[in-house]
Amino acid sequence: MPANRTTMSCVSATVLALCAVLTGCGGPSDTGGSGKTVLRYTWWGNPDRAARTEQAVALFEERHPGIEVQTSFAGYEAYKQKLATQAAGGDAPDVMQLDYRQIDQYASGGVLLDLGTRRQTLRTGEIDTGLLATGVVDGKQYAIPQGRGTETVAYDAGQWKAAAVDLPRAGWTWDDWAAAMRALAKRTGKPGSVDPGQSEDCFEAWLRGQGKSLYTEDGGLGFTVGDLTRWWTFTDGLRREGAVSPAEETTQLDGSVENTPLARGRAIADFNWDAPTSALTAIVGEALTLAPLPSGADGTPGQYFKPSMFVGIAATTEHPEESAELIDFLINDKEAAKILGASRSIPVNESIRKEVVPGLKDFDRTIADYQASVEGTLEPPPQAPPAGDNALQTTFARDYDQVSFERMTPREAAENYIIEAEAELRP
Amino acid sequence: MTTTDIPAAGVRAARRPAPGDKRPRRRREGAAWVFLSPWVLGAAVLTLLPMAVSLYLSFTDYDMFNPPHWVGLRNYVQMFTEDPRYWRSVGATLGYVVIAVPLQLALALLIALALKSMKRGKAFYRSAFYAPSLLGASMSVALVWRAVFNDGGTVDNLLSAVGIHTGGWVNRPGWALLAVALLTVWQFGAPMVIFLAGLQQIPAELYEAAAVDGASRWRQFVSVTLPMLSPVLFFNLVLQTIQAFQVFTPAFAVSAGKGGPADSTLFYTLYLYDRGFVASHMGYASAMAWTLLLVIGAVTAVLFRTSRTWVFYADEGDR
Repeated sequence: MPANRTTMSCVSATVLALCAVLTGCGGPSDTGGSGKTVLRYTWWGNPDRAARTEQAVALFEERHPGIEVQTSFAGYEAYKQKLATQAAGGDAPDVMQLDYRQIDQYASGGVLLDLGTRRQTLRTGEIDTGLLATGVVDGKQYAIPQGRGTETVAYDAGQWKAAAVDLPRAGWTWDDWAAAMRALAKRTGKPGSVDPGQSEDCFEAWLRGQGKSLYTEDGGLGFTVGDLTRWWTFTDGLRREGAVSPAEETTQLDGSVENTPLARGRAIADFNWDAPTSALTAIVGEALTLAPLPSGADGTPGQYFKPSMFVGIAATTEHPEESAELIDFLINDKEAAKILGASRSIPVNESIRKEVVPGLKDFDRTIADYQASVEGTLEPPPQAPPAGDNALQTTFARDYDQVSFERMTPREAAENYIIEAEAELRP
Repeated sequence: MTTTDIPAAGVRAARRPAPGDKRPRRRREGAAWVFLSPWVLGAAVLTLLPMAVSLYLSFTDYDMFNPPHWVGLRNYVQMFTEDPRYWRSVGATLGYVVIAVPLQLALALLIALALKSMKRGKAFYRSAFYAPSLLGASMSVALVWRAVFNDGGTVDNLLSAVGIHTGGWVNRPGWALLAVALLTVWQFGAPMVIFLAGLQQIPAELYEAAAVDGASRWRQFVSVTLPMLSPVLFFNLVLQTIQAFQVFTPAFAVSAGKGGPADSTLFYTLYLYDRGFVASHMGYASAMAWTLLLVIGAVTAVLFRTSRTWVFYADEGDR
């Protein structure tokens, strides 16, 4: 058993505070024994991404003999916590990969460098302006998107066809989707899809299909108790009919593709972001197909191209110039792009994308084709979510647990969520 | 100790310096402080100072990035009046303490009794039963536990084989708490070893006398073993209760850090962690930590108070 949790919590909380106060808690020395400038570059990802990144970084070091790059990576959850701790201690790595949901908090907390000051070195001219704008907080470019992704309905086309249900088509509505799920459940005896009620992302797509948004421009809630009640009533109804996964399955979702009902053979379709679905091919096989998310009743699409991940520079770095060079290399260099491929989703640099995409193979190819199929039909992405959203995503899933385990009505849970969200978003 | 105690007076007498003999004493004290300094420094810098800062933070809004700003009692007010999830975490923790602690102590005592009367292989079994206490706190064992009690896991399969279909424990509210509690119960080794030591302290004459009076084994247990063991029982009860209130790892691993399903394993410390490190509300988390400290203090005080009525110290008769 852990010796003393209270003391532990107190100690960790306060050590962090102390680090913030005592600037003496600096990082390791900035110059290595060789007299080179040493940059720290961290990201989250899997071993494949790590291998490719190491290779690209080696090429960068070859071209810049005066710079040594120390890299480190971890899984997303562990990375997120470690980075938060480092940032709080004033010891953020020079170059760091960031998520959409971290930018607002880190930028307003003074952790990130205004990249506008490095415009000479770090070129952004070939990035779609709408996509680039997602890294802007309070009018300043704090982060550069590294790839873009969009949501998808991934499904087992073999089973779907066998059930003789009409295949998903572009522009299908949430009602079409629900009808398909009911038909699949009826003919195959298992739920058509994972229950999307737990997913804040699906809720957002549904809201946007009605012309609404998750957050207002000033970072408040963009929807009402009524909206959320209707969403949860809709999904909870489908759960009761057996058209989507039961509560015991839904509650086990932990972000890994392997634990989804589709991967476990307990559903025929699933919601996810496009890039992570590649892990499903090993389980579902060749029949895995991607379809766009259902639209609103009038055909308004709810899904959008989201920057899949960002890269930023620490405000505290002693080497802003070298850090900017590294990012510029990772985003704009053709050879680097060939090494990195689609490991961080489809590249953002327009001319590089044109060059890399035709060479993509296997499921990378499927993702690229899927993105091309919805290109130009989607609405522009919302601005980066406010800081509190990081925690609210989990809260959303937990509150829906109360609905799917029938401990609260959709309205009670929605009221609960609004109270929690308002407390979370309080400035 | 009272002032009339001879040892205390003796110590004072020894410490009292002879007139004009101040320097050796000061040097002795100085040496003591030098040797103590690592501990004193450690305690001050690593315990007292962080605790003081944590207390300060509990009255602030602090997101780890921007400087903390004073909000008075708002964290506490929010905790007690506006946060339904906080109360669910309190409920889950109390439920866990009430299930896990008595079960664990009962099992520890039972095995200790069995081991005591064992003639051969005692050392082996003692180690074997103690091993889970060393392993159980680790993340890996908790993850194995999750797999064992999951849908399609070992327990589910075994129960299905005898016709009971559970569909997994860790994904059902109510059952998940039980699965976590069983992980703690399984780590009964530490209290067991203490019980064993306590049992071996009980004089054999008492049992012989009881046997001569015709007392049955049960009667001997109730009238000799339990009263003689009560100080040890009390010690274990206090220790395990305090630990149970602070349980974190098993719930974190079994629920994949979420405290689910439907908040049924959202233990206090798990919610505290969630508020501090996931939601970046260090002030709120600090307020929760201090509240937990006070509650554990209060529960321990209550246990000590009740102990007067049921804990029997052998030397009481001598006073």
